[in-house]
This record gives sequence, structure tokens and C-alpha cells, in this order.
Amino acid sequence: MSMMLLAQACATGITNGLIYALVGLGMAVIFKGSRLINAMHGELAVVGAATAVYCVEIAMWPTWLAVTMGMLIAMVLSTLVDIGLVRRLFNRNAREESFLLLTVGLGFTFSAAVLYVFGREEHLLPAFGDEIYEVAGAIIREQTIWIVGIAAFILIGLKLFYKYTDFGLAMMAASIDPDGAATTGINVRLMRTATFALGGLMAAVAGLLVTPMIGVSYQMGPILTLKGFAAAVLGGLTNPLGALVGGITIGLLESLSIVYISSGLKDAVALSVLIVIMILVPDGILGRSGRKGG
Amino acid sequence: MPISLTRRTVLGAMLAPAIIRPTLGHAAEPIRLGAILSATGPGAGVGLPQRNGVLLAVKAINEKGGIAGRPIELLVEDDGSNPDAAVTKANNLIFSQKVKAIIGPTLTASTLSVGGVADPEKIAVMPFTGLGLEMEKQRRSVFHMLPTQDLNARALLEFVTKNMKTRKVAVLHDSAYGNIVMTKLKEVNATYNVDFVAAEKWEVGATDVTTQAAKIKATAPDVVLVIGNSATPFRNLRQIRMNAPLMSALGTASYEYVRAMGDAADNIIFAEFLVAEDPLPYQKDFVETFHKEYDTFPKTMEASAWDAVHAVAAGIAKAGPDATPAAISDAIRGPYAGAMAKFDFSAPDLTGLSLSSYVYSKLEKGKFTRVPFTAGQ
Repeated sequence: MSMMLLAQACATGITNGLIYALVGLGMAVIFKGSRLINAMHGELAVVGAATAVYCVEIAMWPTWLAVTMGMLIAMVLSTLVDIGLVRRLFNRNAREESFLLLTVGLGFTFSAAVLYVFGREEHLLPAFGDEIYEVAGAIIREQTIWIVGIAAFILIGLKLFYKYTDFGLAMMAASIDPDGAATTGINVRLMRTATFALGGLMAAVAGLLVTPMIGVSYQMGPILTLKGFAAAVLGGLTNPLGALVGGITIGLLESLSIVYISSGLKDAVALSVLIVIMILVPDGILGRSGRKGG
Repeated sequence: MPISLTRRTVLGAMLAPAIIRPTLGHAAEPIRLGAILSATGPGAGVGLPQRNGVLLAVKAINEKGGIAGRPIELLVEDDGSNPDAAVTKANNLIFSQKVKAIIGPTLTASTLSVGGVADPEKIAVMPFTGLGLEMEKQRRSVFHMLPTQDLNARALLEFVTKNMKTRKVAVLHDSAYGNIVMTKLKEVNATYNVDFVAAEKWEVGATDVTTQAAKIKATAPDVVLVIGNSATPFRNLRQIRMNAPLMSALGTASYEYVRAMGDAADNIIFAEFLVAEDPLPYQKDFVETFHKEYDTFPKTMEASAWDAVHAVAAGIAKAGPDATPAAISDAIRGPYAGAMAKFDFSAPDLTGLSLSSYVYSKLEKGKFTRVPFTAGQ
């Protein structure tokens, strides 16, 4: 096996892993702030990216404005889901499975809406840069460098936000102990709405970053959700750093499975290893601290 | 404006099932035909282009006075890419609506289920699939509009060995349609003696196949066969500077896929049936009519749909507008020169397409150009 192939497999695995991680980060943010599994997260990423594509291809907007609009729409949509639906379920003391069913259903709805408005085709956004770098024989696109940089920026930003800002601390408190938070004057409902807005923004960022590389289509939401969820759970669901570790682990497992075992067994091998990891460390790779809020 | 065009077609699809009635001016009793197409679901990518071809053919025939002076009335059903739905639609068309013939279905599974209902009634069915299972050879009223996968595999290797004159071939294929073609490539290779230096697979719906592409690149093939319904592998191969020619089957020879390929849509060869930018003489009328109606160029799926309706119309004209469905089937069972190719529905594979039916095209910076090569010679 040549070094070039190994290097390319690692580069691809890390790139794909970062994509899973970006989606997982958003899911972790929503779980951290609401204790809900957001099964429509991949579709929010698609909505954000598809909106930007529409603005670039049809409205002929400059890319930066289209990207801003994509983020705004996903954020507003996610916020409306909370205000219009999640809040009502909370008021009726709905159980966790009801929330899961709600987001699964909304995922299908958003997917159908994207199909109706944007059609069946894959669409690409312009990349942030067109340079191609060769490292140990592996080809790495400039967009990958951007993804690495932005993922690192988001990760550090979230860490600082949750640790050092009153708003971030209030969001966490409202999620971990809603009644206790309410008695200290925290507006729990507002905090959960803010969590959904932040989650929507994160989803859009993930979708917008990957669209120059893999192309957005109405049907890619579920696969993003699934891989992002696996990344988040593998790392430790409430710890954003966990999503990053989990995502890169999955990406590398997939990629190295193709090289050393078989491309036909890629998912089987990667998911089997994930099962083993979860049995060995059921709280995720980053351990129990992640479950308690990182 | 690709998006707005698609929105229209999707909207059209959502209105199905629909009855396409002849325009005013036809006093004679219409001849009722059915169509079962996958306008929604995974098969819609090919079902919608077929729908355009079918509707245009009915319109063109009716504008020319119909069949023996009687217009066609078309009942269009969407099976949602589901074979169970397809058989329900077929039962309705055959036993309640009393159609003379059925155009479609789009997908192989639906073809099998509809054929099971229609063939005993000897109602002609014109599916947009190639003959698959052995049992389908017994269904003599199911006339296939597309080649078998065996023929598709031969068409690819004909070009590789006789035009490109190389035998060092890698294959990148998906886990569904591509898997079947890969099996056929191995079967027919006894004739061509190609050396498959790599064969890598991607799962349907995969968003990235760069690692598989890198494995293929490491074997330094002279040509890569990319078989499946996705633009992703084309992009990934080019992103890692895989500069060898890529070759693909007719499933990806569409403008939709070319748009999705982006900058990768260059130096890619297709074994298909219609290059509308440079049509063969027998294809020109269809291409002009289609372009005038839709302001876009047709590809193989639209042409096969146009041919399916015209082949049925020719059968009805031959048997007589009041003939029984069985008599119409008998009349269809013979040679038919279409816009896509020359068919012979009396052939053992119920299609009669041959290697010489294929047209080869090459994408050069996103534009299809015809390659002057005839297979099977």
C-alpha cells in the first residue's frame, strides 16, 4: 500500500470527519441547551445551503450575501420550530419520544419542501478558494483548510461562550435544571429558543461549508443527520469537542476501511467499530465529563 | 435557469395522475392509452424526462390527426417508484379504464409487477427498462425500450478496446445499478479480455468517494468506467487529479448530471443513444420538436419515451383503432425505426437493440460532442 494512498485516505477521512463533526456540533448544541435530539438537523443544513444556492443561481446575489441569507433562513426556521411546535409540546409535558417524532416528521417536511422549490439536482456553491495543495502525495483542496479553520473557530467560540458568558451559562442552566434556573430569574423558554436559533445557525454553517465540495440536494439531510448524530454520540453528546473527535474518528474509520478492507464493507466496518467503542466507553470517547455538560 | 425549470416539472409531477385529453376539434372517439411513470420517488430522475417525452409524443400525434383519424387520450399515473403502487395503477388502467396499451413503467421492479398483470391480458406494455430476469422472455407483450445490462456492458468494452485500444481498465460503481453492470462486465469480458486493475464501490447516496477514487488512481488505469447515478464520483476523481478519460453509461448522460459535475464535466465519454447537439439524420425531427416545445435538448430517456408512444401508435394504426389489445400487441411485435434507435420487438430480448444502436458522446468542458465510432463492427 503506497504512502500516497494512505495519505489521501487520511486526508479524505479527516475532511469527511470534519463535515460530520460540524453537523454533530450543532446537534450537540441543541442537546446541550434543550436535552432534545434534533433529527431534522441535516435538513436544516440543506435548507441553509439550498437557500444560498438559490440566491447565487437565481437571484444572482454575491456569494457573501447569499451565504448570510442561508444562515439567517436556517436560524429563523429553527427558531420558529421551537416557538411554534417545541414550546407547545413542552407546555403539554410531552415525553422525549414525542420530540424525536416531531423532528423526524419536520425533517421529511423540510426535505419535501426543498425538493419542491429547488428540484432534484445537486447544486454546488462557489468554493472559498480554488487552490489545491499536495501533502505527502495527497491532494487537499483549499476548501478543506477553510473547514478546518472554521470548525476550530466555532469550537473555541462555543467553549468560551458556554464557559464565560452569562447568556451561555444561562442556556446551560436552563437545560440542566429548568426549575432551578427559573427560580434564579432565567427565562427558560427564551434560553431554549436561543438554543434552537444557535443550532439552526450551526446547521447552516455546516451545510454552507460542505456545499462547494459535495453539492447540496434535497435528499442529503438524513445522511448528514445520521453521521452527525453518530459523531456527537461517539464523542459525548453534550461536549462540542466530542463531536469533533467523534466525527474525525468516523471519517478515518470509513476511509481506512476502504483502503485496507473493502469499499463495499466501508459502512459495516466503521459502524461495527463504533458499536465496540460505545460498549467500551458508553459515555463517549471524552468520557463522563462530556455527559455532564463539558 | 435550471431550478425554475425543475420546479415546473415537479409541480407537474405532483398533479399526476392526470388525463391528457385531445384538444377540441377531434369529433371521433379517442383511443385510450395508459402511462405508468415514476414521477416521484427515487426513480423520478428518469421518470420525469420520460414523462416529457410521452406527453410531447401524444401531442404531436394528435396534432397530426391522431391514429386513423382518432385522437389519443392518455391517462398518466405516478407509481411513486413503488412496484406495489404500479401494479394497482395497472389493474385500474387495464380493467377499469380499458386502455389499449401501457407506456412505462420507469423502473425494473415496477416492470416486473406490471408485466405480471398485463401480459396474461396480452396488453402491450412499453417499459423504460431492459430485459432483466429470464422469466421476462416469456412475457411477449412486454416490449422493452432500453437495452439489457449485458448490452450496456458490451457497449462500454467495445469502445475501450476498439476505439481507445486499451485494456487497463478500472471501475468505480455504485451498490445498485452499477453493481449489476459490474457483474455483466465480468461476464462479457471473456470476449474482450480487459484487465480490470481496480473495482471500487460506493453506496447509493454517498456524499464522498474520494478514497475509492484514490485507490483507483493508485493503479494508474488508462480509463475509468464510472457506473451509477451520481455526479459525486466524477467530481472526486477529478479533484484528486485523476486525469485519465472517464467513461460512463447512459444513466448519467444527462444535462442534470453535467450541471452537478461542475468543473469535472470534461473528458468523459458516454455510451448512449442521442447527442441532441449533433443528432443523426433519423433523430433530427424529434430533437427539433422537443427543443421547440421545451426549449431544452432531449437525451435518451426523452427519446425512448417518444418512441414508446409512436411504436404503440404504429401498432394501433396497423391493427386498426378498434382492434383488441392482443391484436395491437401482435402488430407492435416487429421492427420499429424510432428516434432513439431501430428496435425489433420480435427479438428474443423484446427490444432488438444491437451494439450498432449505440451513439458515443464525449463531454468537453460541459458540452456533449458526438464521437464517430460504431460498436459491433
